[in-house]
Amino acid sequence: MLTFDRYEMPATLPEALALWADAPAGARLVAGATDILPWAREGRAGDVDLPLGIDLSRVAELQGYERHGGRVRLGANVVWQDFLDTPELARWLPVMPYCAVWFADDQIRQQATLAGNLVNASPAADGTPPVLALNGELELCRWAGDHILCRTMRVEDFVTGPGATRLAPGELVNSVTLDCADGYGASFQKVGQRRSLVISVACVAALVKLDETGTRFADVRLALGGVGPVPERLRDIEDRLKGEPVDARLIADAAAATAARVASRSRIEYRRRVVPGFVRAALEEAADRARKEAAHA
Amino acid sequence: MPDMKLELQVNGRKVTRRADPGQRLLDFLRDELNLTGTKEGCGAGECGTCSVFVDGKLVKSCLMPAAKAQGADIQTVEGLARPGDLDVIQKAFHKTGASQCGYCIPGMVMAATSILREAPEASLDEIKERMGGNICRCTGYSKIIEAVALARDVVTGRASPAALDPETVGDSFIGHNVRRLDAPSKVTGRLKYAGDMVMPDMLHMAVLRSPHAHAEILSIDTSEAEAMDGVACVITADDVPGKDGFGVFVHDQPIMARGKVRHVGEAVAAVAAEDVATARRALKKIKVEYRELPGLYDPEDALQPGAPVIHDYAPDNVVKHIPIRKGDIEAGFAAADLILEDEFTTQQVEHAYLEPEAGLAYVDADDVVTVISPSQNITHHRHMLSEIIARPINKVRFIMSPVGGGFGGKEDMIYQGMLALAAMKTYRPVRLVFTREESIIASAKRHPSRVKYRMGLTKEGRITAIKFDMLSDGGAYGMSSEGVMRKAAILSCGPYEVENLQVDTTAVYTNNTPSGAFRTFGGMQAQFATESMIDIAAERLGLDPFEIRRRNMMRAGSLTHTQQKLDSASIGRVLAAAEAASRWEPGAPRMRGPERGDLGGPGTRAPCTLGARFEASKDGKERVA
Ligand SMILES: Cc1cc2nc3c(=O)[nH]c(=O)nc-3n(C[C@H](O)[C@H](O)[C@H](O)COP(=O)(O)OP(=O)(O)OC[C@H]3O[C@@H](n4cnc5c(N)ncnc54)[C@H](O)[C@@H]3O)c2cc1C
Ligand code: FES
Ligand code: FES
Repeated sequence: MLTFDRYEMPATLPEALALWADAPAGARLVAGATDILPWAREGRAGDVDLPLGIDLSRVAELQGYERHGGRVRLGANVVWQDFLDTPELARWLPVMPYCAVWFADDQIRQQATLAGNLVNASPAADGTPPVLALNGELELCRWAGDHILCRTMRVEDFVTGPGATRLAPGELVNSVTLDCADGYGASFQKVGQRRSLVISVACVAALVKLDETGTRFADVRLALGGVGPVPERLRDIEDRLKGEPVDARLIADAAAATAARVASRSRIEYRRRVVPGFVRAALEEAADRARKEAAHA
Repeated sequence: MPDMKLELQVNGRKVTRRADPGQRLLDFLRDELNLTGTKEGCGAGECGTCSVFVDGKLVKSCLMPAAKAQGADIQTVEGLARPGDLDVIQKAFHKTGASQCGYCIPGMVMAATSILREAPEASLDEIKERMGGNICRCTGYSKIIEAVALARDVVTGRASPAALDPETVGDSFIGHNVRRLDAPSKVTGRLKYAGDMVMPDMLHMAVLRSPHAHAEILSIDTSEAEAMDGVACVITADDVPGKDGFGVFVHDQPIMARGKVRHVGEAVAAVAAEDVATARRALKKIKVEYRELPGLYDPEDALQPGAPVIHDYAPDNVVKHIPIRKGDIEAGFAAADLILEDEFTTQQVEHAYLEPEAGLAYVDADDVVTVISPSQNITHHRHMLSEIIARPINKVRFIMSPVGGGFGGKEDMIYQGMLALAAMKTYRPVRLVFTREESIIASAKRHPSRVKYRMGLTKEGRITAIKFDMLSDGGAYGMSSEGVMRKAAILSCGPYEVENLQVDTTAVYTNNTPSGAFRTFGGMQAQFATESMIDIAAERLGLDPFEIRRRNMMRAGSLTHTQQKLDSASIGRVLAAAEAASRWEPGAPRMRGPERGDLGGPGTRAPCTLGARFEASKDGKERVA
């Protein structure tokens, strides 16, 4: 059971940051609350009474998204369902709808934010691999007495371990900025104990762009989740494939090498068997979709 | 507790309340507005019983702080149709029989409503995918999905509204879709389960549970908790006025731990307070001193000489041993061409009914101690409670509330006694609603079992003898173990005629969570072993698995394992139906893998995936991605 001594709903970023700067020890930011509420239950944190909850969902500056050239900036309040319901976002970020459809369920996705998923930094988070693949960066802001001070950080550097990040005291995530990947084919593979409402045992995000002939990899983005303390971008495999012809043998060979990346504490054998198959399936599906994408254009 | 003026629209009406902004929207709707059609099955986003629309979007209200609903337009299941009426989806659920216990049904109706609003043309696969956030433990989903598809067809004009009307039934109901009488109250959320019931001046209970598996209780100090504002009483085993002890067969379980705890999660004390939060805070103020005792966690260990004793009355740790003897197994094995030996184990299983245990007790004007709960065994509970609280039977009353799924798990009186004691101590109504975690930790489970099997067969596949030895983990209390062992023994060797058999089923005490009644009542564990043995035998003898079963099956005139003569037996028809339905390719079950012709195809399920919504819709409308 989670109780708050005070619960605030700031309407602007300065208000939110000012509250956060003065917040008593133990105060928490609340976005969709889909991690925080289940955390305060028996078997996890148990009953928790927090001195202050700062609910970000009405902060105007955190809403919506905008595109700047080849990058799209997502306000921290963008929720997972947006990647399914907003055709523009789905086109720019083709891996996100495939990830979203595997994320929790249709209802939780209406609440759960991408930013909250990244800050929660679960090793099994589904959001981190696609964000790594899209060179995600966070804008981290805090209140500096009379103005807002922001810095940017790559998500790859931000997540340092299970539940651990480089978020500094008084800081919040203002936005997540990602590469636009129009024209890429994408795939997201996930295995858990069931389809919906399930934590990944392993997951893979892949994006593939083909050259003009439609037969060679022009660009490949690949990231793994659930198999180690932090999600990981597989740059060596990307480099091995770039410029090469799209070939089932090559994909299978490259995928086979990923078994060695499994560094989780549990179910290592299972994960070592499942990951190469996933990487192969993800690359093949992404290449296939890239081909269809090219045929459409 | 903070408070804030919440102004919102609920089911088309303006609502203004001063309320705690940090409480969950679920609590606000249920406790402040009495909209109890929205249920709490898990409190952790996992089940979908709490789904409501917030500004047109379906969300899980157990994951939403109430402050987020400020200014919002909320729709709950109560707001779907006019009072006393059903909307199309509710009618479809009524028509297809898509409600069993009904606890998941308001959430299912809400999810279906969301689908037909967002994707009215959704295919069956897409319907299933979009319902992924809702769990049902009773219906098996088929009827629910059928209802959503029916409603979709009516809404989109593919089916006439007359399809929602009840089927005309002639002289016989058999083969007809007969509507359930209680379905309208379930599909509208109108049906009150125990946790939905309130009484004026009602107190709320929380239970302190043991962190230890086996420990002596040296002392319990409740004084600090009792002194807290808002706490009406604290009860322990000392408050039991009569002869403590309940159980389906042996009355070995005290209302609350008496002298020692025997499993993690056993109730030690309980608080009744003005609200749940206060009751839970008070639990932290109760001081219990324990001295840990060596525990038993494996049923084999329980039978070792010198093993710790869990109940003084049972120094051998045996809850129940059921032996069955028939014929002469020595002669049977001597006549066998093939003797197979193997061991089979099954695990503990949680019932996970969607309604967590809940109850409400009060002492009425005639001093009748009354307990309302979804008990699966009220008459027995009433008799036991009368002894425990030392009141004549006419001063004890049990009312069975709608059971939101039981499956055997609500046969044990694990909380009704505490409610009665608190009501007697305070003369106020007291309600207890388990959390999901509490339900899992404190309720009985399916018996984990281990069967040592020996089977003799002739070359032709006739069974000549069976030695069947099952050891089950009964956990800390007897509960239904005796009956489960009896049923496991009776069903042990399956629907096969076996002339020579020696069957032993034994349940022992351990310090694990107690085992109790669970669908099949011991049959599943036994059948898993027997049917596996028969498949192994078919493989070894090169026989078709259906054929070997036919050669052994009971027929009219057969003697069962307990030597009852059968007038009729239906296993032959069952085998024929299963063989046809599975399109079985006859032959010995050697590993033929992908060459088999009867794998896949109609009636089998495709590999599990998601993404039906990405497929282009037939009308060519642009769909995301
Ligand atoms: C039933 C269920 C199923 C789930 N399924 C999945 C799944 O399939 N895949 C998956 O990856 N996750 C899953 N989750 C986990 C959860 O839904 C996600 O991690 C979600 O994205 C968290 O976002 P939120 O907005 O709800 O975060 P919150 O719970 O509000 O916050 C999470 C953390 O982030 C912090 N935070 C939030 N916003 C900010 C910000 N702007 N700046 C700084 N800190 C911030 C909070 O203080 C908190 O520590 C599931 C959860 C549930 C209950
Ligand atoms: S999902 Fe909210 S109670 Fe289960
Ligand atoms: S009818 Fe669905 S849980 Fe009982």
